[in-house]
Amino acid sequence: MTQINGKGPIHVAFVGNPNCGKTTLFNAVTGSKLKVANWPGVTVEKKEGHAEYEGEQLICIDTPGIYSLTCYTIEEKVTRQCVMDDEIDVIVNVVDASSMERNLYLTLQLLELGKPMVLALNMMDIVQERGMEIDQHRLPEMLGDIAVIPVSAAKRSGITTLLHAVVHHYKEGPKGDILHYSEEIENKIAKLEVMMQAHYPKHSSVRWHAIKLLENDEEVRKEHPIEIINVAERSYEKEIIKRKYEYIEQIVGEVLFHKEKKAASTDRVDRLLTHPVLGMPMFLLIMGLVFFLTFTVGDALKGIFEAALSVFSDAVQTGLTAIGVAEWLKSLIVDGIIAGVGGILTFIPNIFILFLALAVLEDSGYMSRVAYVMDSLMGRVGLSGKAFLPMILGFGCTVPAIMATRALETEHDRRKTMLVTPFMSCSARLPIYVLFSEMFFPDCAGLVAFSMYVIGMVMAILVALVINRMEKGKVNDSLLIELPEYKRPNGRTIRIYVWNKLKDYLTKAGTTIFIASIIIWFVLNFGWNGRVVSPADSFGAMIGHVLAPLLVPAGLGMWQIVVALISGISAKEVVVSSFAVLFGVSNANSAAGMHTIVENIHAINPDFGPLNAYALMVFCLLYVPCAATIATIRKESGSWKFTGGMAVFQIIFAWLMSVLVYQVGHLFL
Amino acid sequence: MTLYDGQKDGQYTVNGLYLEEGITRRLQALGLNDGTTVKVLNRRKKGAMIIQVRGTRLALGKHIAAGIEVVSGSKEEAGKEGRSYDAN
Repeated sequence: MTQINGKGPIHVAFVGNPNCGKTTLFNAVTGSKLKVANWPGVTVEKKEGHAEYEGEQLICIDTPGIYSLTCYTIEEKVTRQCVMDDEIDVIVNVVDASSMERNLYLTLQLLELGKPMVLALNMMDIVQERGMEIDQHRLPEMLGDIAVIPVSAAKRSGITTLLHAVVHHYKEGPKGDILHYSEEIENKIAKLEVMMQAHYPKHSSVRWHAIKLLENDEEVRKEHPIEIINVAERSYEKEIIKRKYEYIEQIVGEVLFHKEKKAASTDRVDRLLTHPVLGMPMFLLIMGLVFFLTFTVGDALKGIFEAALSVFSDAVQTGLTAIGVAEWLKSLIVDGIIAGVGGILTFIPNIFILFLALAVLEDSGYMSRVAYVMDSLMGRVGLSGKAFLPMILGFGCTVPAIMATRALETEHDRRKTMLVTPFMSCSARLPIYVLFSEMFFPDCAGLVAFSMYVIGMVMAILVALVINRMEKGKVNDSLLIELPEYKRPNGRTIRIYVWNKLKDYLTKAGTTIFIASIIIWFVLNFGWNGRVVSPADSFGAMIGHVLAPLLVPAGLGMWQIVVALISGISAKEVVVSSFAVLFGVSNANSAAGMHTIVENIHAINPDFGPLNAYALMVFCLLYVPCAATIATIRKESGSWKFTGGMAVFQIIFAWLMSVLVYQVGHLFL
Repeated sequence: MTLYDGQKDGQYTVNGLYLEEGITRRLQALGLNDGTTVKVLNRRKKGAMIIQVRGTRLALGKHIAAGIEVVSGSKEEAGKEGRSYDAN
């Protein structure tokens, strides 16, 4: 990178309240495709991107949203550390212009850091829509002459002006103080500043630290152990916060006009969706609709993929035979890779619809309402309604769902949520349900598959309840979450969201599932004496036979099922791949493929019926999550003991529940 | 009275926060300070409520709502009636 000023790239941090559009703006500036949605807490870790403006290189950092620089949750710590870092040259404070009064509190705190800062006034379109006006000359004056740039992150307007301001203000350096406290507090700040300078001569934001010491901020006191008792005999936090809000009221009074003309549409929608009685049925109805669309529309589109796969598979088979490829290699490619990976690809329509529906849900603003609606139920199991958000994300993929637990206040709540989130059926389990419900419940496949989602949700809540009882935990009623305005989902946001998820799915098919399919083909085609004729002599059969007796009580005592379940730990879709490879089916998700699998299963165990299939689905729903999830849980909990304990619990729990289903079901059928 | 006793569509003025330090700080950062006017938008009989404060909507659990001391009426009205919203 060539630099005009020779000082290296400019580090720019995007900081602002949750859900004010930081990530959308960051995406617009850097051309990144990070996930965006309309609920507080979507971004939980900082991300970097690059931009260039007139030869200057910018390194942009997107941060989790925060309401203040006082930190409690992990995401807030991440942002505070990032902003405090000396590496950050310029702060871009993203402000939601439609709720300026609350947003400016963080702005005033950031200004006290004494770093060059640019205010990006986002969502100006909403402000105008509501008939409000902002005096864009008076606002910067009242904020100490920092640049205030109106932008629309969603419409990508104002970006060039913003970049210009960033570079310009970087060169100009920070502005002076704007907010002055009472004489008593100012005197104390002055004394503390002198003390700070004496102890830390090179410190860059002395005033901010002095104020934080007066507020008795634990982290700042820990990092700067200065004896301050003679200056600050108590915490002055209350006065300091009050003064800031007084000043904000003054700003709002001078720059914001027609404040009372607010859109009432959000409140009208909320009257139904957050209704004390109807709120919960509305939620269940919405989720039901999501899965209904996933199964029906997804299945309608499936035919196209099926036809393409069968043409491809036949062509490869003929091609390989024509060029005289060795028989084992042909078997590896056709029976291993195409069967394993290809079958998984035919589920793309279902996955696409599922993520499309989830994207619309997340971008509409409904997610926060779910936290509110579910709060009393979740409260009874000792979690706040907020813990339900990671669980809903779990319907898409468990890995980001586990990450989303960072927004929860305590480590205890986080771990509990991490423990139950894998019970929410992720998109990878969808192919298993589709396959087995269509094979064994042809008349009510959709309903059977949907029942897995319900069972997963019920189990998650029951397990949390039992844990709460065991801990003699109390009812949790400390919900605190912001409810954003509803908005029409943004096309670009939805495209990025769905494309990212599809890309993940395709990547997984090309890597994890590809490799798993080769390994499965190998263990099923080789034994101690090399290549085997019948899979019954293979390594796979040997391993399967050892463990199969354990699954007899669940009606699943077949070595083939053991192999499929073990390989499913690499990725849940691999359970389906395994069945395809086991029985040499090129497309498990087709009528012919399903017929072959059922025939093969019946050849091994003539009694294998719907009940066995249901027990298998329950086992797949509840047993250990995939390797990627386990790794994420290890990383987020920081404990092998917790992660290991969780895996053991989930296996035992899955076994118990599938045995229960099979044994009780047997009494009636 | 506390905010938890508040009725739907009622306006109240905060008169003190009696909660754990962490939650208090968080509420203050969100702009819920002594003298702030809030409006109850929606509530469950025994449970969480949705309030409007400084132009934004917040969902508050029972524990938090019950820890917010309020007087009824907006800041101006509460002041007129000679009630203190600044005692703390």
